[in-house]
Amino acid sequence: MFEWLKKWTSPSKLKRAGVMGMNARNFHVISKYNNRRLYPLVDDKVKTKTLASKIGISTPKLIGKIEFQYEVKNILQIIGAEREFVIKPAQGSGGKGVLVIKDYSEGIFTTASGKKITYNDVYKHISNILSGLYSLGGKYDAAIIEELVHFSDIFKEYSYQGVPDVRLIIYKGYPILAMTRLPTKASGGRANLHQGAVGVGLDIQTGKALHGVCRDKPITIQPDTGADLMQIEVPFWREHLLIGALAYDMTGLGYLGADIVLDARKGPMMLELNARPGLAIQIANGIGLKSRIKEVDKDYPEGLSAEERVDFVLNYKREK
Amino acid sequence: MLKKFASVRFILFVFLLISVLFAAYSIYYKIEYWGFSFMPKTNTNVWTVEAHISFDPTGDPIKVSLTTPRSNAAFKVLEENVIAPDYKVTKNQSASRLILSASAQDKPQDIYYKIMLFDNVASRGKMWAPQPDEPEAPFFDEQKLAAAKQILELSKKKYQGDRVVQIIKLLNETPLEPAVQAYLPIKNTQSVMVEIISQLLALEKISARAARGFKLEESKKSLSPDLMLEAYVNGSWRVYDIKTAKKGVPDNFILFQRGGKSLIDVEGGENSVIKFSVLKSVTPSFNLAKQRAKISNSKSWFDYSIYNLPLAQQNTLKWLSIFPLAILVIVIVRNIIGLQTMGTFTPMLLAMSLVKTGFWPGLLCFAIIMGLGLSIRFVMSKLNLLLVPRISAVVIFVILIMQILTITGYRLHFAIAQSAVFFPIIIMSWIIERASITWEEDGALNAGREIIYSLVAAIATYFVINSEYIRHIMFAFNELNLVILFIVMLLGTYTGYRLVELKRFRPLVRG
Repeated sequence: MFEWLKKWTSPSKLKRAGVMGMNARNFHVISKYNNRRLYPLVDDKVKTKTLASKIGISTPKLIGKIEFQYEVKNILQIIGAEREFVIKPAQGSGGKGVLVIKDYSEGIFTTASGKKITYNDVYKHISNILSGLYSLGGKYDAAIIEELVHFSDIFKEYSYQGVPDVRLIIYKGYPILAMTRLPTKASGGRANLHQGAVGVGLDIQTGKALHGVCRDKPITIQPDTGADLMQIEVPFWREHLLIGALAYDMTGLGYLGADIVLDARKGPMMLELNARPGLAIQIANGIGLKSRIKEVDKDYPEGLSAEERVDFVLNYKREK
Repeated sequence: MLKKFASVRFILFVFLLISVLFAAYSIYYKIEYWGFSFMPKTNTNVWTVEAHISFDPTGDPIKVSLTTPRSNAAFKVLEENVIAPDYKVTKNQSASRLILSASAQDKPQDIYYKIMLFDNVASRGKMWAPQPDEPEAPFFDEQKLAAAKQILELSKKKYQGDRVVQIIKLLNETPLEPAVQAYLPIKNTQSVMVEIISQLLALEKISARAARGFKLEESKKSLSPDLMLEAYVNGSWRVYDIKTAKKGVPDNFILFQRGGKSLIDVEGGENSVIKFSVLKSVTPSFNLAKQRAKISNSKSWFDYSIYNLPLAQQNTLKWLSIFPLAILVIVIVRNIIGLQTMGTFTPMLLAMSLVKTGFWPGLLCFAIIMGLGLSIRFVMSKLNLLLVPRISAVVIFVILIMQILTITGYRLHFAIAQSAVFFPIIIMSWIIERASITWEEDGALNAGREIIYSLVAAIATYFVINSEYIRHIMFAFNELNLVILFIVMLLGTYTGYRLVELKRFRPLVRG
């Protein structure tokens, strides 16, 4: 009779587990460490790219940018000889409005899912982006066209189409939690947990899998491919963390989400930054964000360089 | 930093406390002095009593002193009016007497004193007054004293109840006891009776005095005041009917004057006559309270309150003053419970529509409009339209759906469908657009969930704002909005878990 109650827990237990709730995130962390003035740096992907290249973070190459409706007809010129690319809103969030073109030849665009679309479809998609359909608050937006990432083979068996990525949470410049987000059939090939992608928590010191979560429920195998999620170990882990640490230097945001993809040839690249990263990463890690934040506030030194911070995280001795 | 947040919360808490205290005082004030009530739609009897004083002047300067009723008894004075053109009117508050003075006149004088009273049921029967001194024993000769003592003995033997009741009953027997008959004068008026009873009570060391008033009955066009006896028994003044010995002020009886002084004194006049007429009307308490507040002491305050505005504006404000409560519900649903709704205040606007359409008809209409709208939107998504024209098209479709629903509803005498017009067109279009985008982007599951959550929030809001009782309270005691403001701001510092997070983060708790 009270079976359903077992799906619930008490606030005191959550508190003991160091879990951070939405209200606490907004009040204690975001409003405290993230100056609103800095948001455009992460909300506008063109700005993010420019800043990133200055500080030495590699990002997918920008092919072109479309700001006004009359420019949309130039799309084919902008693409030029590129055969594969991604069209996305400059200020979109959560993977909304991202159109991945795997192949373009003779007026036919092939999307990540293998669907063939025409110039008209692409034209409409870009128009929608410009009219603000995917941006926060429906503001007029720009569309950017960037190089397609060839994600590393190590993720191949774990994801269904799309681009899997690594999400890092960076607090005061220290990467504190990590997870990899694997697109599923249900998520439509997008690496967005909200849409049904799988999240796998990664040990912040090793990049090895901890727990899997899909739609806020724990899982251990990829629902589409059946691969064992617990076998995941992300290579170039230190490089991943370094991108995260540098993202803090570059933006000054005290609480930051960095989305990183692993390109087969170019190594880890930063896709985008998020000033209000979600909380599902806690479930994927089985670790409360609050406990990690407390740890940083208490133990981690201030004034280190990005490299030093990454080394500090990698060598930090945590009591088990 | 943590200290800073604590102090923000503390400051807000102090403000909340101040606003609660202010609201409490203001509510008390409105109830006590303006006669506002927590209950909507209660009716109150309003009596208009007119005293017509007429006398012939003697040629000397005139001074008329009239006892006026006090508010603190069973009735409260709503309005007071003196029609006496050539007189200077002063009011002696403490003695509750109205003094009219004028220079010498030669024609017969007519003065009208009009008051509007309303039934103050709550305070009826409470008549506190300071304890009187022990009454002086009347000066009786031996023979009369013996007769009086005999009557007192007789009354004690024959009747139950307190001494006052016993005496009054004995004096009103039919036929009278021979001893009583001998004691009473031949010409027995009310005032003589009061005098006799008071004297007898004085022998028993009970203070007593006359009280004048009359029964409020509309039929009587012209009436003269009745005398009642007031006696100090068991620590308070009690009113007795001098014929039946019934205790207490009878229903609809207004005591004009207490304490034995005359009802009217006229200097510089003779043959003075005072006649009363009474008119009854029934007014909704709230309107009455507003009217009353207008003439109360706090005139200037009331002038700046909502209730002094024209009725049309009042109705708009009545609608507005429920908004803060609806907003509070939304804040609770989103930040405490944690349901993600479509747009922050969309559910509130939906709830407003539900109030106008009625609950089930509204939900049915909402479902029809959403269903048709979404299907049309899906067809339209194949047309590759740009955002603004597409939403505009959805708006027009929603208008068409509403028109069709209303017209067919009217033709088929199906009242439910006619309520479609009350839904805000733009809001409906936005919900359809948002739902269809969410559907395409995040799947039907998320879209359905958002619609359901928005509806849940709307329904919760509906039940709060649809209550006649709550609406009345929020309007009549609009200072509560200030309290809500600070509650909402305090909720802005709530950093605990949301209700849904207790389920969401359950996997993080081992065991």
